[in-house]
Amino acid sequence: MMELRLSDLRDGESGIINSVGVGRGRGRGDGRRAGRGWGFRKRLEDMGLTPGTKVTVVKSAPFNGPLEVYVRGSRLAIGRGMAERIFVEVKR
Amino acid sequence: MTKNKFTIALAGNANVGKSVIFNQLTGLHQHIGNWPGKTVEKAEGTLHFKGYTIDVIDLPGIYSLSTFSLEELISREYIAVERPDLIINIVDASLLERNLFFTLQLLELETPMIMALNQMDMAKRKGTKIDHEKLEKLLGIPVIPTVAVSGTGIYELLEKAIEITEKRVDMKPLKAQYGKEIEERIKKISNLVEKIQFKYPARWVAMKLLEGDKEVENEILEINSEIVATAKKLAGEIEEIHGHSCSTVITSERYEVASRIAREVQEITPPIKPPMRERIHALTTHRILGYPIMAISLLSIFFSIFTFGDYTSGLLSDVFYGLEPIFEGIFGAGIAGKLVWGGVIEGIIGGATVALPYILPFYFILYFLEDSGYLSRIAFLMDNLMHKIGLHGKAFIPVMLGFGCNVPGCLGCRIMETTRERLLTAFVVTLVPCAATTVIILGLVGRFVGVQWALALYVVDLLIIFVLGRIAFKTLPGEPTALIMEMSDYRVPHMKTVLKQTWFRLMEFIKMAFPLIIVGSLVIKLAEVINLLEPIANILSPVTVTWLGLPVITGITLIFGVIRKELTLIMLATLLGTTNFAQVMTTVQMIVFTLVAMLYIPCIATIATLVKEFGWKKALFITLFEIVFAIILGGIAFRLLMLAY
Repeated sequence: MMELRLSDLRDGESGIINSVGVGRGRGRGDGRRAGRGWGFRKRLEDMGLTPGTKVTVVKSAPFNGPLEVYVRGSRLAIGRGMAERIFVEVKR
Repeated sequence: MTKNKFTIALAGNANVGKSVIFNQLTGLHQHIGNWPGKTVEKAEGTLHFKGYTIDVIDLPGIYSLSTFSLEELISREYIAVERPDLIINIVDASLLERNLFFTLQLLELETPMIMALNQMDMAKRKGTKIDHEKLEKLLGIPVIPTVAVSGTGIYELLEKAIEITEKRVDMKPLKAQYGKEIEERIKKISNLVEKIQFKYPARWVAMKLLEGDKEVENEILEINSEIVATAKKLAGEIEEIHGHSCSTVITSERYEVASRIAREVQEITPPIKPPMRERIHALTTHRILGYPIMAISLLSIFFSIFTFGDYTSGLLSDVFYGLEPIFEGIFGAGIAGKLVWGGVIEGIIGGATVALPYILPFYFILYFLEDSGYLSRIAFLMDNLMHKIGLHGKAFIPVMLGFGCNVPGCLGCRIMETTRERLLTAFVVTLVPCAATTVIILGLVGRFVGVQWALALYVVDLLIIFVLGRIAFKTLPGEPTALIMEMSDYRVPHMKTVLKQTWFRLMEFIKMAFPLIIVGSLVIKLAEVINLLEPIANILSPVTVTWLGLPVITGITLIFGVIRKELTLIMLATLLGTTNFAQVMTTVQMIVFTLVAMLYIPCIATIATLVKEFGWKKALFITLFEIVFAIILGGIAFRLLMLAY
């Protein structure tokens, strides 16, 4: 098991969400309350990307485009910048 | 007590068939406008059923009741403040878990509710079987299975709505329970909230405060700041326990409840063969093939709209202008007759020859594509490109619309999530060459200078969009939002809904644009009749002649262009007395003129749209900026081109 960014997953690979970071890097501690990035994380979580959820990367659009992911039975498009801030536990 | 009039609000995720149900319920008795002071569309309708008059409000399609977008804020404000008698929660049966997450939040607002378990046919095809009676028991609200596109279940839905509003049935709606450590703290806060007068239910407020919801926090702060402080402290404790932010914990647990209910009521046996819609999805979002498919679809759509529009437009104006002699026979060819014809009637003709041939098919195809699900695929493919100007994939849709007409383009900016992004997108849209601008580019430069120059102008425009878009993105304060969107399954669009949406949007356009076009035409006609045009052209000559190197009369044509851009070309022909522009204008003049006409101002209908969506100040700023920008750029282009020629 290893922790990767969602954006680093290969097409077809699945992982379990560990955390959704705020700001650059692994901001697990910063910005917990409202403020910069609050809306971003809330949005992802409202769409079902909560810690512990299984997420599968179906494919990504070319030139660092968004990712097509499968989560909780539905298909979402997530911008790459957002996907980079989602940390997932992957079996490799 | 019985009353014969009540209000129902329709609430649900996007793409669950909400607008189909709305149309099935209200037929043609609907009104589409904006929520007061907001750039969010509000659809209302009325229906009569068994002696009752029922007002139906179609709330925006959303996934949550937080503060992420204006739609979410408006929806929860509406439910809490306006207090509809009943909410119909429309749910996509094939995506139960995500939909139930929203249902649970609606239940927390403690308004009477029933559920329309929609798209049962789709769920069946996907191999999902749902025990709706069990769902009804678990949720404690009536659940009616529906297939909106065929009208199945709509009657039952209304019957149930009446039963509930008359309190003939006694239901105990589910209150989702969270972990013990959370429930204890919710209780503590809601006890405090109950002591103050507030529009939302105490438990809901307590949860929002724990989640760190800014809007609720600010409103409570004004009443009693201690409550907020207590909530912050308690939220901190939950964070200590779980190691995640409190809003994460609550959202996770809420999803957990939704997931458990979904698992209990549904049985999924996925079909073995990948269905057609999945193959179409794979093809249209393919990393290589997706792009040519998109380009071909969009180009053929534009080509057919322009061909159709050009033909119909010509036909319509022939018919209208054929009436001129008859008109003159009645009103005479005097000043009054000229004013009425040249101002009012020509304004109507102008509007009609744009609205019907271009806007109508445009809207139709837009709603057709939206309903089918293809628009979200386009947004997926274009996300990367739009990021270059600080926007995300969805912004491509209004920009694309702008190529047809800037008005629907600006209205289409409503699909963006935040006000900042709406404004940025609208700014970009006003720089996009619309159908009328294309007429000028092709009719003047394309015809008399060369197609390569016409193309060059397009390229220049795209570069300008890119550069200005980027600058605006950097200067406008606020956080950029990234793309996060559901790509719902492809489906066959529901024609009746598509046609109705087209119709109501067309009416919206006519109501907004026609009066302005008519008044504008009248003013300019008046100026012409009292011989004001020439003095105005002379006043403008330092700009037009000295700076831009154009003939004096172009000042007049550019004024006409404010009404409708293609008038610049028509007036040019009228005033120069020829359509062979090469005889009276030099190559450089034609290029510079087209460049300025392309950029100098959003037309009057677009300005009106900007005012409606963003207010006077912003609309005025964009307009003035573009005039100044076009003039400066035109002058520079003139000097550069003079060096080359």
